[in-house]
Amino acid sequence: MIQEEPLLPFKTWLLEWDADRWGAFWHFLLVMVVLAMLSLVIGLIIGTILHGPVKAGERAYRVVANAFRELFHISPRRIWAIARVAMQEALRRRVLVAVAVFVLLLLFAGWFLKTDREPAKLYFSFVLTATSFLGLFIALLLSVFSLPNDFKTKTIYTVVTKPVRAGDIILGRILGFTLVGSLLLLVMGGASYLFVSRALTHTHTVAAQKELPERTSRSDGHSHKLEVRDDGQIIAMYEHGHEHSVEKRGDRYMVSPPEGMIRARVPLYGELKFLNRQGVEVEKGVSVGKEWGYRSFIEGGTQAAAVWTFDGINEDTLIDEGEDGRYLPIEIVVRVFRTWKADINTPVQGIIQLKRPGSDLKTEPEFFFADDNTIDLKYFPESLTDTNNQPVDLLEDLVSEDGQLEVVVQCLDRAQYFGFARGDCYIHLRDASPFWNFVKAYISIWVQMVVVIAIAVTGSTVLSGPIAMLFTVSFILLGFQRDFLMGVATDKVEGGGPIEALVRIPTHMNLISDFKDQHFGIKLMRLVDDGLQALMQVLASVLPDFGNLSTADYVAYGFDIPWNQVLQQLFLGGAYVIGLAIVGYFLLRNREVAK
Amino acid sequence: MADNVVVETRALSKVYRDFWGRQKVRALKALDLEIYRGEVFGLLGPNGSGKTTTIKLLLGLLFPTDGEALVLGKPATDVEKNERIGYLPEESYLYRFLNAEETLDFYGRLFDIPPEVRRERIDKLIKQVKLDAARKRQLREYSKGMTRRIGLAQALINEPDLILLDEPTSGLDPIGTREMKDWILELRDQGKTVVMCSHLLADVQDVCDRIAILHQGELKELGRVEDLLKVEDVTQVSARGLSAECQNEIRDVIARHNGELLSMDNPTTTLEELFLSIVRDSEARPGRRVVREEEATPPENSGESTEPPSTAS
Ligand SMILES: Nc1ncnc2c1ncn2[C@@H]1O[C@H](COP(=O)(O)OP(=O)(O)OP(=O)(O)O)[C@@H](O)[C@H]1O
Ligand SMILES: [Mg+2]
Repeated sequence: MIQEEPLLPFKTWLLEWDADRWGAFWHFLLVMVVLAMLSLVIGLIIGTILHGPVKAGERAYRVVANAFRELFHISPRRIWAIARVAMQEALRRRVLVAVAVFVLLLLFAGWFLKTDREPAKLYFSFVLTATSFLGLFIALLLSVFSLPNDFKTKTIYTVVTKPVRAGDIILGRILGFTLVGSLLLLVMGGASYLFVSRALTHTHTVAAQKELPERTSRSDGHSHKLEVRDDGQIIAMYEHGHEHSVEKRGDRYMVSPPEGMIRARVPLYGELKFLNRQGVEVEKGVSVGKEWGYRSFIEGGTQAAAVWTFDGINEDTLIDEGEDGRYLPIEIVVRVFRTWKADINTPVQGIIQLKRPGSDLKTEPEFFFADDNTIDLKYFPESLTDTNNQPVDLLEDLVSEDGQLEVVVQCLDRAQYFGFARGDCYIHLRDASPFWNFVKAYISIWVQMVVVIAIAVTGSTVLSGPIAMLFTVSFILLGFQRDFLMGVATDKVEGGGPIEALVRIPTHMNLISDFKDQHFGIKLMRLVDDGLQALMQVLASVLPDFGNLSTADYVAYGFDIPWNQVLQQLFLGGAYVIGLAIVGYFLLRNREVAK
Repeated sequence: MADNVVVETRALSKVYRDFWGRQKVRALKALDLEIYRGEVFGLLGPNGSGKTTTIKLLLGLLFPTDGEALVLGKPATDVEKNERIGYLPEESYLYRFLNAEETLDFYGRLFDIPPEVRRERIDKLIKQVKLDAARKRQLREYSKGMTRRIGLAQALINEPDLILLDEPTSGLDPIGTREMKDWILELRDQGKTVVMCSHLLADVQDVCDRIAILHQGELKELGRVEDLLKVEDVTQVSARGLSAECQNEIRDVIARHNGELLSMDNPTTTLEELFLSIVRDSEARPGRRVVREEEATPPENSGESTEPPSTAS
């Protein structure tokens, strides 16, 4: 799972006051203040052109004064009245048909979605993606045509001539459609959960014979190896992401439903740094090309290593296996990049060691065979031996006073590479409830939906239905591309600004090489680009980062979604609703309704 | 502004512009009006003369290009005034997917009315506008007259002090028209102010205390209905049982006093004539006309005594 940026602690995220990163709250304030100033200035300029400065000032004053007065007149009673009508409108427009479509989709999906590897991942990705697209689409359709429709049928005349404030109309609509959308998500979520658990569940049979057979029967495209544990319990061994327990009843064997198929691992992440071929610390490893850009690579057979530093290691970090003692559960995902094929069936070998930070004390290398992109488990017991074959204690010797521990990974095979990113190695603290994890993923979808509704309602205060739809859709698409937009705007993406890119594409120019002669045209191009880039940066800083709002990957890959993340998303959603409602208020309040 | 002035406009003007700000229509030109508490005021004028525009300006649905409108002592764009206003639009613009009860419930919730009172009022209004049988049917199934009725009920849900009716009788059958007029008079008797616009002269004549006649956005005539209809230099004589001699005698008397006998017929409705003459006149000589509003003593808010005081000026 790709997790680009470490998740900030909630308070830092919200309130940090730093030159590099403003907390989300300050960012929100800044955007609102800039927006207010900008609209005031533009309003004054246009007003002055049309009516002269005195009248323009008077009008601007009235708009602002009205806004402050009406802010205190927003009434829950009226908001609720409007929300009710919005819901009735939605239900009469037969949104429930959408639910039927979704359920049908699930019924048929069962036939097409077949996989031998990681079925849980496939199913979860499928249902979560389907829900979020269908959910967002319906929310969009409902909310974007509602106000324009009121304008078209002039129903709005009878509404705004009641003591309704523009804010009531906007918040009421957002609330109403959110409630309808929540109902939809609830139904779709329930259906999805049922679908996934039904689709994943299966069982095998074990032939009843004197000796325990070697394997179970085949089912769902796989079979399990059978083993008897020391305590007599029969286990259908880990395969396809799950195991079964087997019980012997008389002559017959009863196989349980799959266990551990749906997981919600709670990981403890560390900080990642790299050592280069000479063993010198560097910020990044080797890059092996674009598609792999997110990971850095270390070369096999050299001193190059990936080193994670974990914080806060203590007794509670270890898992207690009862009589077997306590273990440090480390899980690692390796991307293997082969510069020569060798024997594709022979895995590339690597070693993993624990190290005390700031000293040379290291455990004896633990060997592992890297299977590309699968999770490898390494359980380190409490008593280990170091590289000089001396016994060391995990907590006493290897963990530093301030609770830090390093994990060092190297590749052994020459000219083969291991690729890592920060999230690829973690300590598996425990498993959270997969059900609640699923709920959390739906909360993310819900937040996305609310943001879409808020954008749509705000846009539709002044735009006609289809135009508002176009506006909202481009908002969403740009939101998904926010990182790229920001990258282009801040020159992090190679190839210059938009105009420069336009020049480079038809002339088949390399993205990195500079223009040979710096004549006036080039200078002008750069200048225009600078302006455009500034605009893009402004745009990107108000767009919702829809990519980041999606937590489907967590569930699909079996990781617990931190509540912190959910909370951040909820706050973000709230901020968009507030910000957009304020913008919408001004747009609607100052629109000539009967025009 | 005097206490009993409910609506006041000062040089109220409206120019409709297109998207690019180019001038399209001058719908209203410097309208000065005062409407007093407790009267039924009629806005009269041919199609496109600016009646609806005036009402929309009073409601804040449109912003004036120039001048200002004060309604219940507040600027027309102030939302607060809506607490005491009822509005019946030209056509009833209501949610077609709601039924009569839900419609009134929705609009009722927009006011600060306790739920029991709201329910009571909904019931009363539905009965009053005779929609009892159709109260559970969606408005999309309503006939035009039924829609008008629910529109009126919607306008009265807050027991407003000022009611603006845009062509209240359009789409109603003769019986419905009669009922609508009775309701309007009933409202006036309750001490409410009614502003209605119409081009149906009979309606206006029947219910309005004062009228303003608009043509091409200009105020042409303003005053009490009976004053406007009284032609000052014409005396109408009607009597029963006069002999031919007596009639001749009267003719002689008129001739002796240098009078000219026009007719000795029964009087006719003359609002229509007045209206047509004003329109004809204004087409012949465009421009603002001095309105002969005799600074009439505004009628006191008096329940029953709506008999027009026959002021001679
Ligand atoms: N939204 C608008 N855009 C442009 N012009 C308009 C608009 N609404 C009205 N007009 C014009 O303004 C003028 C006055 O229209 P208004 O609706 O006030 O007339 P009216 O007196 O109510 O007529 P009717 O008796 O037909 O209802 C007309 O010339 C009309 O074409
Ligand atoms: Mg009209």
